Amino acid sequence: MKLELQKGSRSKILSALVFVIMGIFVARLFYLQIIQHDYYVGVASTEQVKRLTIPPKRGLIYALDGTTPVPLVMNQTVYTVFADPQTVTDSGKVVDVVRRVAGGNARADLQALLDKKDSRYQVLATKVTRVQADKIKAEDLNGVGFQEQSQRVYPEVGLAAQTLGFVDFEGVGQYGVEGGLNDRLTGKAGLLQSVTDVSDVPLTIGDGNINRPAVDGDNIVLSIDRNIQSKAEQALADGLKAADVDRGSVIVMDPQSGRVMAMANLPTYKPAEFSQVQDASAFNNAVVSVPYEPGSDIKTLTMATGIDKGVVRPDSTYNNTDYMKIDDRMISNYSLGHTGIITFQEALNYSLNTGFVTVLERLGDGKSITKEARETMYDYFHNRFRLGRTTGIELANEAAGTIISPAETEGNAVRYSNMAFGQGMDITMVQVASAFCSLVNGGNYYTPTVVAGVLDKNGDIKENSVPAPSNPITNSTASQMREMAHTVRSTLFGYLDKPGYYIGGKTGTSQVLKNGVYVDTETIGTYLGYGGSAELSRYVIMIQVSGDNKAMFGSYNAAPIFTDISNWMLDYLKIQPKG
Amino acid sequence: MSYQRTQNFVSRRQQNWSRNQNTVAFVSAIKLGPVTHTVLIALMITILGLIYLTQATRATGYDYATQKVDTQIAELNTQKSDLEIENARLTALETVKNSSVAKAMTAPVSTDYVQ
Repeated sequence: MKLELQKGSRSKILSALVFVIMGIFVARLFYLQIIQHDYYVGVASTEQVKRLTIPPKRGLIYALDGTTPVPLVMNQTVYTVFADPQTVTDSGKVVDVVRRVAGGNARADLQALLDKKDSRYQVLATKVTRVQADKIKAEDLNGVGFQEQSQRVYPEVGLAAQTLGFVDFEGVGQYGVEGGLNDRLTGKAGLLQSVTDVSDVPLTIGDGNINRPAVDGDNIVLSIDRNIQSKAEQALADGLKAADVDRGSVIVMDPQSGRVMAMANLPTYKPAEFSQVQDASAFNNAVVSVPYEPGSDIKTLTMATGIDKGVVRPDSTYNNTDYMKIDDRMISNYSLGHTGIITFQEALNYSLNTGFVTVLERLGDGKSITKEARETMYDYFHNRFRLGRTTGIELANEAAGTIISPAETEGNAVRYSNMAFGQGMDITMVQVASAFCSLVNGGNYYTPTVVAGVLDKNGDIKENSVPAPSNPITNSTASQMREMAHTVRSTLFGYLDKPGYYIGGKTGTSQVLKNGVYVDTETIGTYLGYGGSAELSRYVIMIQVSGDNKAMFGSYNAAPIFTDISNWMLDYLKIQPKG
Repeated sequence: MSYQRTQNFVSRRQQNWSRNQNTVAFVSAIKLGPVTHTVLIALMITILGLIYLTQATRATGYDYATQKVDTQIAELNTQKSDLEIENARLTALETVKNSSVAKAMTAPVSTDYVQ
């Protein structure tokens, strides 16, 4: 029997129906797989492919111990312990364990936090160390979790606090090196894009995987020597205590390279506890951020300008009358009585203001403070010694200060006569110390720096090369100035120095502007000096002390701190005495 | 199973150059139908699929092993960092200055230098 589908039979209808349904399937699949291909690939990729940012490690900061790098700032992994009150089954045990293990890092009201059953997240303890976290994990507490984070730690506690700065809660460096070199310290985040399983474990399946490792921040080695820094901080604290004031700064530099060996300020703070600081001015590194009128230590720069221009020599003379009238203002000496024909060396010894106003006059016509004289002084101070300009030191918030140009109305004869002895301008200690370095190193100006180099993966220092210096003055001028500063030191404080060394320096006592008027009741004491052998200056130290309504003097209050550090430096640097 | 000779031929070339080689070709007597062919192809595809799955699973297994090793490395790095911090704290100036050894030291009266 031959079976055939008859026209219009049910089998034919079923066949047609199946064919139509298959057609619908094919059309639908074509729509989903071909037309909507990109959309569904995107949806699948969103669910399966995870993009994980790999955070870079923030670079460490090292100081030097002689030539060996020692860590000042490191990273530590700490944990935040949290709980889901709805999942916690034994709140009594959780409270007991967290309090026992985390101690002071645990929140005071643990039980109350766990009783908040409408909440799913309560922080029980912060900054818990790995060892503590492991102990809590070992207790296998239900509903308790851990969140890992990195924090900066400071093995040397508060050493060089204002030079270091700190990292805020957003992970951004603030103040000091942390702020100034934030980009270099931060590094670059990496990227991991991969198909993952439900536990977020990356799998190698798929063809769109990306694994770009993070680039960690540079491990920066500062030129700060921790021993010199510690001595400078101690000497400053002792000096301020003796002077009964609370504000002071010190900078110690290597004049042969411009490297800063120590930089300290009081009052200070502990970077690990930056959030507890009440007065934000404690964060400021006054050496680079607070311009002031430096006073008589600037006379060394005025004298250098005069010698370099060939208008005076150390043994040149002038008639000291203790007073000079400049326009409508009277300039007077602080130390009176050295009147008559005296040398400029004597003027520097006794810090006579009239001597350096005379040098300024000789830069012009020799009789008055001409525009030519002012322009010459401005050229030396601003363009050559780089006063009133940022130096480019790698610290955040460096202030430029102000040197008024003779082209401005305020740049008149009265202002420039004041500038000749260190008043009438606002400049920072790092500017003055850097300029002074060029007076004692043969006439080379080195840009000050706090960075010696970077530490590579093998633990070796890759040193920064010292950039070529500029030459604000000639070698001959520098030699004469070095000798003049040595004579000043020998005349007044030589008996305090260790014998056999070559030490020089100059005091500075500057008046403070109060309500637009210079007052004598509050002054800033400064000492600026160098030390080393007769052939080579090995260090430059600058000290500044001040206090509200306190009259501080360079010779009485700042010089003893210089002497303390200087005599210590001679031993520390193992400089052999002569004679 | 037996085979029968189906053809017997000798080419001119073989006559000339391959005198001692086998000159008889055999053809299997077993005939495979279209169903058998389909089943065999399906079987081969299945085997290939299984091989692929085995390899993929093995690769994924390596991912988990790698992840485990990575976690161990991270933990060891954390421990190393903690030890470095502890070392830095123990050798910090503040610690050294406050040590009993340092406190027992006295300042030298004078310093001499070897010339």
